[in-house]
Amino acid sequence: MTRVVAILKDPVVVAALIAVLLIAIGGILRPGFASPDQIVDMLRVASFLGIIAIGQTIVVLSGGEGIDLSVGTVATLGAILASRTMAGDDALIVPGVLLALGVAALIGLANGLGIVLLRIPPFVMTLGMLGVVGGLILVVTGGRADGRAAPALVSLVNGRDVLGLPGILLVWIVLGVVVTLVLRRTVFGARLYAIGTSREAARLSGVPVRRVTVSAYVLSSLFAALGGIAMVGYSQQVFLNLADDLTLPSIAAVVIGGTLVAGGVGGYLGSAVGAIVLTVLTSLLTTLAMPEWARIVVQGVVLIALLAVYGRQRRLRS
Amino acid sequence: MTATATQAAPATSFVDRVRGVRVASWATAALLVVAVVAAIALQPNLLTPYGVASTFATFLPLVLVAVAQAIVVIGGGLDLSAGAIVALSSVVAVQTMRGEDGLLLVGVAAAVATGVACGLVNGLVVSRLRLQPLIATFASASIFSGLALLVLPTPGGTVPAVLTGTFRQAIATVPMSVLLVVAVVLGWLVLRRTRVLRHIRATGGDPAASYASLVPVQSSQLASYVLSGAICGLAGLAVLGNAGSGDPFIGGDLALNSVAAVVVGGIALRGGIGSPIGAIAGAIILALSSTILFSIGLPTSWRALAAGVVVILALALSALGAPRRRR
Amino acid sequence: MTTTSPLVRLSGVHKRYGGVQALRDASLTAAGGEVHGLLGPNGSGKSTLGKVLAGSVRPDAAEIALAGEPVRIGSPRAAARLGIAAVYQQLSLVPDLSVGHNLVLGSEPGRLGFLSDRAAARRVAPMLERLAPALGDVRFDDAVRDLAPGQQQIVEIGKALLRQPRVLILDEATASLHRDQVALVFEIVRELREGGATILFVSHRLDEITELCDRATILRSGVTVAETSVPDTTPDEIVRLMVGDVQAVEREHGDVPDGPVRLRVRGLAGGALRGVDLDARGGEIVGLGGLQGQGQSELLLALFGATHATGEVEVDGEPVRLASPRTAASRGIALVPGDRGTQGTLPARPIQENLAIASIAGRSRVGVLSSRRERAAAQSMVDALAIKIGSLADPISSLSGGNAQKVVFGKWLLTEPSVVLLDDPTKGVDVGAKAEIYRIVRSLADQGATVIINSSEDRELVTVCDRVLVLFEGAVRATLVGDEITEERLVQAALRIGEGDQGAPAGEDAA
Repeated sequence: MTRVVAILKDPVVVAALIAVLLIAIGGILRPGFASPDQIVDMLRVASFLGIIAIGQTIVVLSGGEGIDLSVGTVATLGAILASRTMAGDDALIVPGVLLALGVAALIGLANGLGIVLLRIPPFVMTLGMLGVVGGLILVVTGGRADGRAAPALVSLVNGRDVLGLPGILLVWIVLGVVVTLVLRRTVFGARLYAIGTSREAARLSGVPVRRVTVSAYVLSSLFAALGGIAMVGYSQQVFLNLADDLTLPSIAAVVIGGTLVAGGVGGYLGSAVGAIVLTVLTSLLTTLAMPEWARIVVQGVVLIALLAVYGRQRRLRS
Repeated sequence: MTATATQAAPATSFVDRVRGVRVASWATAALLVVAVVAAIALQPNLLTPYGVASTFATFLPLVLVAVAQAIVVIGGGLDLSAGAIVALSSVVAVQTMRGEDGLLLVGVAAAVATGVACGLVNGLVVSRLRLQPLIATFASASIFSGLALLVLPTPGGTVPAVLTGTFRQAIATVPMSVLLVVAVVLGWLVLRRTRVLRHIRATGGDPAASYASLVPVQSSQLASYVLSGAICGLAGLAVLGNAGSGDPFIGGDLALNSVAAVVVGGIALRGGIGSPIGAIAGAIILALSSTILFSIGLPTSWRALAAGVVVILALALSALGAPRRRR
Repeated sequence: MTTTSPLVRLSGVHKRYGGVQALRDASLTAAGGEVHGLLGPNGSGKSTLGKVLAGSVRPDAAEIALAGEPVRIGSPRAAARLGIAAVYQQLSLVPDLSVGHNLVLGSEPGRLGFLSDRAAARRVAPMLERLAPALGDVRFDDAVRDLAPGQQQIVEIGKALLRQPRVLILDEATASLHRDQVALVFEIVRELREGGATILFVSHRLDEITELCDRATILRSGVTVAETSVPDTTPDEIVRLMVGDVQAVEREHGDVPDGPVRLRVRGLAGGALRGVDLDARGGEIVGLGGLQGQGQSELLLALFGATHATGEVEVDGEPVRLASPRTAASRGIALVPGDRGTQGTLPARPIQENLAIASIAGRSRVGVLSSRRERAAAQSMVDALAIKIGSLADPISSLSGGNAQKVVFGKWLLTEPSVVLLDDPTKGVDVGAKAEIYRIVRSLADQGATVIINSSEDRELVTVCDRVLVLFEGAVRATLVGDEITEERLVQAALRIGEGDQGAPAGEDAA
């Protein structure tokens, strides 16, 4: 009995139940909303946010008020660099992706070094980086976004080539599994949780706190760029603000998934479910013809409400 | 006893009172001088009455938001929703005034009331629910900008001529925009003498010690957000005065730039230290550096990047200059 | 005013922190116009008792009466209303505010929400003048941050005095002051006494107690063991009352080791440390004694590379760079830190991770961990140290203090250290687990490791150490070897050591 209660209190389970509930509500209100086709489509859209949330999860887990407010623009920049390089040509996918990842890694490195060496608080550093990357986008594009996704990338996201499912879902699942294994089964993962729980205790246990922190921000930018690339496969055309609005949802997904904002507790599975919940919620609001303002407001309200719930939980535990 | 007491009361001497104002750190002052000199050297027409008037007019919103941010930061908090509050108050004001001069005061009241309401939300969420200010205000920013879209879905609306006109006026050859910035400084000099602000500063400096000294810590946090919201409401009006119409998306960069202005102005993000006057200087430095970037003939597409790099460099410089603290 | 009931009466005070009973049935009675000493060895609960009266510690049970009236004191605010003010060693000053603003903080004069610095200055000026001999030329507008620690302490005392308390608690409030400053504080305390107030004076310095106090309450392990008239009691008797009937503590000694020096330290300085020399052999357990806060913890942290310090350190004849805990650990040095909650453990993480974290890299292959190997390593420590756990996957916060501390030991034993630094390793640990930890420490030494142990309990040093270095103000001032190590000798050494050089301006130099 207590075991059942414990499972029901697990944030990941709660989030999954919320997702199911939302789909059910949508199905009742608008027939077809809960059809398998529609659900696969929602999962596909959730994958971009889900991939970006991988990096956000790692940064939040690393503690020290860790947060990355630049993921949205970094994702946009990644999409722009990749799509301009590939310019609709399958042969150029690899260079395009590598270029995007390379630039993203440098951005993450700058974030990490600013935080660790200059001791700029993470939110200030990444907020400042948001401005820089936004400027970089203008420089790269000259204000005109004319990149196009290669056909193979488009069919990876929009096709149903893998067992009748979009390939991007498979990519997301593989990334999710790999990240979960990295978090649980590697030295890096153990050290990440250690510094997130207590920088002081980790340092006094011989953990290289700075190196792990910098790695977290590099990974965050890398996954943001990957998410952006997946997104341009979906939209085919690139826009100057393609993924800019995904920063808040990426944080919300992490919080919904039960990862402690203070760091050190949580995992990626929860964030993945969180990304699904947010996507379903958005689709539901769209289906119900809710105007854009309402969707934006609901996002904020949901995040504050969840923070209040999980925040209180944390106080009880300590 | 009273005789010796008045004699020994050090705060009453004029020199001490001036010293107490503490414009900002020397670094901020030096940066300000460099920025002003460089801007004038590169663009001499800045010094014409029109140049001064229009420059200060564009500064005003950021100056106000920087002051608002400074008050919250000094109180140990943070407000990432400042830009959204500005946007929301400005569109609320536009819709209330409907372009009619007679409704100006109603509009002002509406803008400030909106700011206060937003500040109240932030303050309650941070002080009572005890949520981390960073994420809480990031989330509330989403709420406020959503509401701004509700109030005014697309840029537009008419601002009463009296508001835009006031902005272009001059009193005794001093442009109104300059007077308004001076008014902000004077307003702060009055505010800083209040019990609320003393308690906000004490709370930001050391919440535990403040609590032990019988300072109402939670109420002080709440007050800092409310005050900041009200000032953001005024910033909303300044935005309208400049633009002549409403725009629900106006607040975009204001949150970042206000945080940057605060940091450049020598206010520690951990709270307790610094003065909004420093933040005003910081805001002017940042605004001037973009003026400078304009005048050195940087291609348009590079300006945003250069501005971003300036902000990062400013943050890095302030971080390097700040005393290292353990923890 | 003739009142038969004493001004302050506390009785039946109980307070438990987790597994530790800080106060059990403690009591205290003090009259108006009396300076009342509160004495006891480290960890006897005297500070806690003071804080119960000041409203900053909520007791599990307590009866408090002021001038015969039973009162409840639920918060510092309530205490202030009753005229109780307290001054601690940790200050309640806001460093960013000026001296004057700190002095009036929480009770600022003003009208309609606007403050009057003029009125504040008027209120503060006599106090600044009164304190000037100890404070020097400190003015209303000076920032507290810029004052020396001793001056800040004086400001803190001034802040309490401005509230015109009828009960003033001074808890180690003179610890950072030098002689002249202490003299002024004593003068003010005596004035307050003339005015009918009760002053509760908590201090480690025996000479201060004998000089100032009229009566004293002596606590031992959270129990009031004696109340005495100070002028009628000799310092030696007071020490005996504090230590109790000295039952011969069972000392667990091995043979005195005679191997080569394993840990050699010369001129270690930085922070609170002022040139520490130390030699310890393999198999030896060296204790760090003295009053608390004389640099014992800093010494251990510095040896572990966790704080900045200069000096020579050699392990087995090879110099060690004091760069970081990581380099120290790689040279076989381990530290069980003083604050288990924030320094020793990763609270929300599983027991297995807490055990593994320091040695994890050595068991991985290209960064990948084998869950079998990790579990086996953790389990080996659970078995070896008899750690009582439910499952290795439970968070360490689910464990009792003693078992959590054993996990911290286990974490470092997995690195097979040759120098083990222990900072107050049995703080907040129950008696049974204490004995087990002593056995672990002894067996570590028997296997050839050098152990340096700091303890807040003298009894612990008597029990486990082969040698004890008594620290005072960041340097080794006395050494006790073998049978010289008794509780009485330790207390005497700690209390008496500073008397000779009280003239040293401790407050200013410590900055």
